[in-house]
Amino acid sequence: MTIEPRHPHLLKLADPPILVGHRCTRCGRVAFPPDPYGCEKCGSPASNFEKWDLQARGSVQAVATVHRHHRPTPSTPFTVGVIELLEGPVVKAIIDSDDVVIGSSVEGFLAPEEPDEAGNVIADLRFRVIR
Amino acid sequence: MNTASLLSTRPVFVVGIGLHRYQRRSNETYVSLGLTAVREALNDAGLAWTDVNAAYTGTALLGMGASRIMLSKLGATGIPMTQVENASASGSSSVAQACLEVASGRSDVVLALGVDKPRGGLGAAPGEAGIANLEAGSVVPFTHFALLASEYMNLHAVSDEQVAKVAVKNHRNGARNPFAQRQKVRSLEEVLTEPISGSLTRLQCCPVGEGAAAVIIASEDGIERLGIDRSRVMQVVASATKTEGLYDEGVGIDAALTAETGAAAFEEAGLGPTDLDVVEVHDAFAIEELLYAEALGLCKPGEAAVRVESGDFDIGGSCAFSPSGGLLAMGHPIGPTGVGQIAEIVRQLRGEAGSRQQPNAKVGMAHMVGIGAVCVVHILRKP
Repeated sequence: MTIEPRHPHLLKLADPPILVGHRCTRCGRVAFPPDPYGCEKCGSPASNFEKWDLQARGSVQAVATVHRHHRPTPSTPFTVGVIELLEGPVVKAIIDSDDVVIGSSVEGFLAPEEPDEAGNVIADLRFRVIR
Repeated sequence: MNTASLLSTRPVFVVGIGLHRYQRRSNETYVSLGLTAVREALNDAGLAWTDVNAAYTGTALLGMGASRIMLSKLGATGIPMTQVENASASGSSSVAQACLEVASGRSDVVLALGVDKPRGGLGAAPGEAGIANLEAGSVVPFTHFALLASEYMNLHAVSDEQVAKVAVKNHRNGARNPFAQRQKVRSLEEVLTEPISGSLTRLQCCPVGEGAAAVIIASEDGIERLGIDRSRVMQVVASATKTEGLYDEGVGIDAALTAETGAAAFEEAGLGPTDLDVVEVHDAFAIEELLYAEALGLCKPGEAAVRVESGDFDIGGSCAFSPSGGLLAMGHPIGPTGVGQIAEIVRQLRGEAGSRQQPNAKVGMAHMVGIGAVCVVHILRKP
């Protein structure tokens, strides 16, 4: 069985995983998620980007528990948060802790889905409250 | 380029309005929906289809080439017809294009129509941009706004009940609007049942159904030449469109974009928030009315919930917010929504809104945001 992140280019497997964003070498803007096109600040093409590691740690700015969803996964209820990473960028992701509140410190982890028939497992980066 | 000078150099007016009631998806074709609205708008203006020089159709869901097969049933006059897609603001942008065409002098009478029927999903292009994120499809629009509600309520110590009161008000307004999809008065207790995401409940989320709305835009020359009743025409004094800029990390884009677009519209009109008697905003989710009331400068940050509770945003208050019922009650069939807002503002400024009339309304604003993100704001006034 292999565990593969849904979007491998967004992550480095570590504990906790490292988020891979980009930094524009022309204007210095750091962004997550990374994109293959160009810089929203200075218009520089993505050829001027370098990969930029970001710790998957931050604090929660907003939370919402989702009761209805248009797909079977993730199964409801699940909780989504707005997380300000320690290094600045803000991301939205699922938070797998029942006691999460605004201001909670969280860190990322790989949450595996059920294996498919071949035994392969896709994993999403989720966050959980740091105890 | 300065659009302010364009709209003031050659003034533009809404001379006719028409709607097909917003409703759940039915077997009625979009052609039938659209024609109902256009025929009513022509009748309202006292115009014939042959008086119309061009048409813009706001639609996001119908697919390509929607206009001609529909509008030719009024007579295949061969006029230019163009579909306008700008997500939830598609209808607003069809109005913007019609205003621009009349202001430019190219046409004297232009139709702005919005028509749509819901499909399986929204088919939004940003999801196809090849920029993956961590959300993996878990953050749909109602959760995006539930997160904004969470942040707002925490920052300003506002309760779930206070946000829900926006929906109570807008359902009350919608109950008096024969074109609204939802026409039921709802108690606070009813609004607070059936959680969807975060604090947002079913009745704090807009229904996406089908419908149509049409407005006819004309110049002074057109009004004069065609003998249109001047007492019922309302002037469009601002038409502002902006897209999301690069904001500081964590800043709510919908409110920031609304603040910028609203400011541009006020500048163009030479008016300010205190001049507004009636406003229709993109209240797809109840929290949005609070965010936009503040972003548009109608009250200070954190004050909007108290203003709703005090009745200030009711019909009869200092500024009526969403007297049509807004997206929450009138509905959000996408293409028609922004055009229907203009129709409501015109009805209010004419004093023809019946039991939902804001007394003495002289200036009104229509505001939509859409996926992208885009924002379109129009200001209308009684000439």
